[in-house]
Amino acid sequence: MARNLAAFLVLLLSISIYEAATIYEPISDSHRTVALELFAPVNGSYASLEDTYEALSIYEILAIEKKPDVSTTACKKVLEILGSSSPPKDVFYALKVNGKLKCKVDEKVLKDIASRLKATVSDASTLLDIYHSIGSLVLIKDQTSNVDVLLADGDGAFQSIKALSQSDGRWRYSSDNPESSTYAAGLALEAFAGVISLASSEIDQSKIDTVKNDILKLFDSIEKYDDGTFYFDEKIVGGHEHQGSLSTTASVVRGLTAFSAITSEKLNLPGDKILGLAKFFLGIGIPGDAKDFFNQIESLAFLENNKIATPLILSVPETVFSLTNQDLLKVKVNTVLGSAAPPLTVKLVRGFKIGAEDSSIFESKELQYDSKRGLHVFSFLSKHVDVGSYMFVFEMVLHGTDDDKVYATGGQIHVPIYVTGIIKVGSAEIAVLDSDLGSVETQKTLDLSGNNVVSLSANHLQKLRLSFQLTMPNDRAFKPHQAFLKLRHETKVEHIFVVGNTGQKFEIILDFLGLVEKFFYLSGRYDMELTVGDAVMENSFLRPLGHVELDLPVAPEKGSRPPAPPVDPYSRYGPKEEIIHFFRAPEKRPPQNLSLVFLTLTLLPLIGFLVGLLRLGVNLKNFPSSPVNALYAALFHVGIAAVLLLYVLFWLKLDLFTTLKALGLLGAFLMFVGHRTLSYLASTSAKLKSA
Amino acid sequence: MAKLVVFLTLISLLPLLCNSFSDDKPSDRHILVLLDDFAIKSSHSLFFKSLQSRGFDLDFKLADDPKISLQRYGQYLYDGLILFCPTIERFGGSIDAASILDFVDSGHDLIVAADSNASDLIREIATECGVDFDEDPAALVVDHTGYAIAATEGDHTLIAADGFIKSNVLLGSKKIEAPVLFRGIGHSLNPSNSLVLKVLSASPSAYSANPKSKLTSPPSLTGSSISLVSVVQARNNARILISGSISMFSNRFFRSGVQKAGSPTKHDKSGNEQFLTELSKWVFHERGHLKAVNVRHHKVGEVEEPAIYRINDDLEYSVEIYEWSGTSWKPYVADDVQVQFYMMSPYILKTMSTDGKGHFFTSFKVPDVYGVFQFKVEYQRLGYTSLSLSKQIPVRPFRHNEYERFIPAAYPYYGAAFSMMAGFFVFTAVHLYNKPT
Repeated sequence: MARNLAAFLVLLLSISIYEAATIYEPISDSHRTVALELFAPVNGSYASLEDTYEALSIYEILAIEKKPDVSTTACKKVLEILGSSSPPKDVFYALKVNGKLKCKVDEKVLKDIASRLKATVSDASTLLDIYHSIGSLVLIKDQTSNVDVLLADGDGAFQSIKALSQSDGRWRYSSDNPESSTYAAGLALEAFAGVISLASSEIDQSKIDTVKNDILKLFDSIEKYDDGTFYFDEKIVGGHEHQGSLSTTASVVRGLTAFSAITSEKLNLPGDKILGLAKFFLGIGIPGDAKDFFNQIESLAFLENNKIATPLILSVPETVFSLTNQDLLKVKVNTVLGSAAPPLTVKLVRGFKIGAEDSSIFESKELQYDSKRGLHVFSFLSKHVDVGSYMFVFEMVLHGTDDDKVYATGGQIHVPIYVTGIIKVGSAEIAVLDSDLGSVETQKTLDLSGNNVVSLSANHLQKLRLSFQLTMPNDRAFKPHQAFLKLRHETKVEHIFVVGNTGQKFEIILDFLGLVEKFFYLSGRYDMELTVGDAVMENSFLRPLGHVELDLPVAPEKGSRPPAPPVDPYSRYGPKEEIIHFFRAPEKRPPQNLSLVFLTLTLLPLIGFLVGLLRLGVNLKNFPSSPVNALYAALFHVGIAAVLLLYVLFWLKLDLFTTLKALGLLGAFLMFVGHRTLSYLASTSAKLKSA
Repeated sequence: MAKLVVFLTLISLLPLLCNSFSDDKPSDRHILVLLDDFAIKSSHSLFFKSLQSRGFDLDFKLADDPKISLQRYGQYLYDGLILFCPTIERFGGSIDAASILDFVDSGHDLIVAADSNASDLIREIATECGVDFDEDPAALVVDHTGYAIAATEGDHTLIAADGFIKSNVLLGSKKIEAPVLFRGIGHSLNPSNSLVLKVLSASPSAYSANPKSKLTSPPSLTGSSISLVSVVQARNNARILISGSISMFSNRFFRSGVQKAGSPTKHDKSGNEQFLTELSKWVFHERGHLKAVNVRHHKVGEVEEPAIYRINDDLEYSVEIYEWSGTSWKPYVADDVQVQFYMMSPYILKTMSTDGKGHFFTSFKVPDVYGVFQFKVEYQRLGYTSLSLSKQIPVRPFRHNEYERFIPAAYPYYGAAFSMMAGFFVFTAVHLYNKPT
């Protein structure tokens, strides 16, 4: 858990830091806007009185003007809870809400509650019961003076809380629960404060001293980050009720401030731990959870008014300065909740350029206090400040003599400062050189601030030289973090080179002979692009330089292949091209008229045959004359005609099987009538021959 | 006996427990959120709230909680997983990289947020998804021309990115006006993985390097090939979102204003909230999830689906496609749904017409090739779940009596045959009954 939290905080802090130096911002208006969102009542009320109390305190601490009015519904709930015999926890929060809203609670009710709570205190065995009962009694005491809330046996109550303490300063929730908890320690401390204020007789100083010892022991187990942030964390995960480090730390801070407020002597705690706790709460930023938000703001409010040491937060609203604007360096000192700090002077102990830690630019400069705006200002952008990133070390010097004891400033504060400016880019040149002689083949000057592009051509025996100069406004050399020359082949294969420098001059020579392998032997057009950029360079640029036609040797068999180009998602997912099926073309046929001509030609022999028959003078005189034989002969020819008609029908529509079936029937019929007819004809011809 | 009853009741309830992620309601419901620390729950609460307000049930757990598990008795307990634990070296419980990949392989969704100093475990999960983070643990994406202007941000690692993918299904139909604030590590996409998409890419002047140390060799990632946020849609339609920055999900960045360097417009609110809310809708299947129903085909002029087609038949094919809107199925509107008539390779590929109400239809002539064909709809569009429908249908050649019968070119042959037959008929009569005079 602790490891995770550490990791998380590193992550969280990396949002706002550059180096080890962390600038914490005090609570500001952005907190207030979020508070209005987080603590907006649903339908005019909150889910519980605890939520109501949290919302009301947040509105009070942050001094939010337009708070929603929930008093009627909340007061109704308060009176309901106080009227019935509710558990101490509910009573506790009801009284807390009552303290904020001043509901009209009958004193008799409070009296009843007080006597009941006193009974609870004397025979309670769990820490939470004692905590809520004592807390409620303190609240009754604050709200009315007419109810007797004083504990007759203050020592006894003190003892019953102390009995749950552990040797390492942590507390147990109850005597039969061996787990000890830091969260509980915070509750116990608050309960102690309550007991001391409620005790009818003075609590023995030695007992208070043992509690102070417990506090010191508790602070021995405090967790720490490198940047001076302190927090408490629960060691046992999955115990009674898991508490995160935020609620644990908030609980300890609540207990600690309550306890230190009630005791006359000052607690002997170092101010930097208090400041570290404040830094922890501020480092969280703006929580998005109402509970976390409440814990953060309430703890900060406690820290702001604690008796041990009031933390002061130095913040620098702007850390990026431009040489062209000549802005003033502004430093704000506030308390954690953003209210004004006591009179003090902010001193710039030293300021140095990052990378040149040994030579400071500024030493022991006092910042001017602008009382109108409440800012400490310093005009540091002068001639001897270059473009670059700096580290400024601030220190707060308090004016009051005893202020050192009241306020915690945290010593030296490191703030990274960026000074940006316009870098002059000049003498840009691009040339193609002959390899062995180094003689210039083609040379072109470039205006890097303009848009002109060059087109060059080179082969693998030549070199390409690009050079330019970068100078800061004060004519000193400038080294940007990013100075890349990018060559992009038509096939999207890219090659990047870092342009190195000697002094002001940046130069890169690409010897293509050594690069053919790297270029995958890809000849053709390469687009050149120069990128120069730095965090402090205001005119960082990315500029196409033109192109160079490279003529490289043909790739050998085993040469490495260029990497596959990335898939273009738009083309990959687009619709595919339609595919149309080409049907087989029908066979070529003669024109229909030709077929008709030939059809008539085929009919000609039939006509010729018929004409021939007529010319020969054929007759049908041999047709049988007897009716029976005439009938058979007629049927025979009708049968033949039927067979022929069947063939026509076969052609027109019938299939083979129907045709064969019909043909079979017709055939049998033909056989019969044919036989009769033919035998009759044979017999008549035989008669003729014999006659 | 009582035990048996309890057992039977539980068994009968099992399907109810598991059907939260079903074909009927494809959006996720139960999501496990693994955090490095519970503070993220509050510092990133706007993102979580937007999910909760859309009906998701988020279960927040510490990533090293020994009790976490993704499945119990072979059933997955969650429909989605959010990994907001960039520094975790080993998950608690039974979760490891392999089980997370199994979770995705079984069709569940995943959001991974990395950061500088991302652990090897997170990098491994990302690599398995086709995303390679910059190997230098101290590297950040730096952009000296596309940074976000801020009074206290001097190192240009806070980037105002606006290289969005052009896709309404991924990023919603409303254009994202404000740039997205990003601070974190860049990644490149594995070129061999065709399922991973760059949703937010860096500007051409960006590079990935340690801003504190001097550069001697060219950085491994430069220009717009750096991906800041990527998504993967697996073949089983599981969706993955990978971001190189966890702070881009934070309330701080959601609420922060943004002004990109060199641009005169200052936006009151960064595009982070819109970008990530829309993208999370996509990841959790509230958008871009398609289903196809009522696949029908029949001959023109008929209604019944035949068991077989003949070559050269004219047929009609229709399908209804719906898109899940998070709450209901809405007709899918597009004009690029294509159907293939396929046997070994597509014989016909035709774009279907639509009535704008999810009904897609077309008609075409069956090719003059017989065999077993398939109607195929392979619909793969950027961001949408892929539709893959296929229906097998055999195609037969002409029957013997289905060929053309009265071919004019053959009339001379017919004429010859029939004149022969007529001649024969006359001849029989003449031959039998002629009486020579």
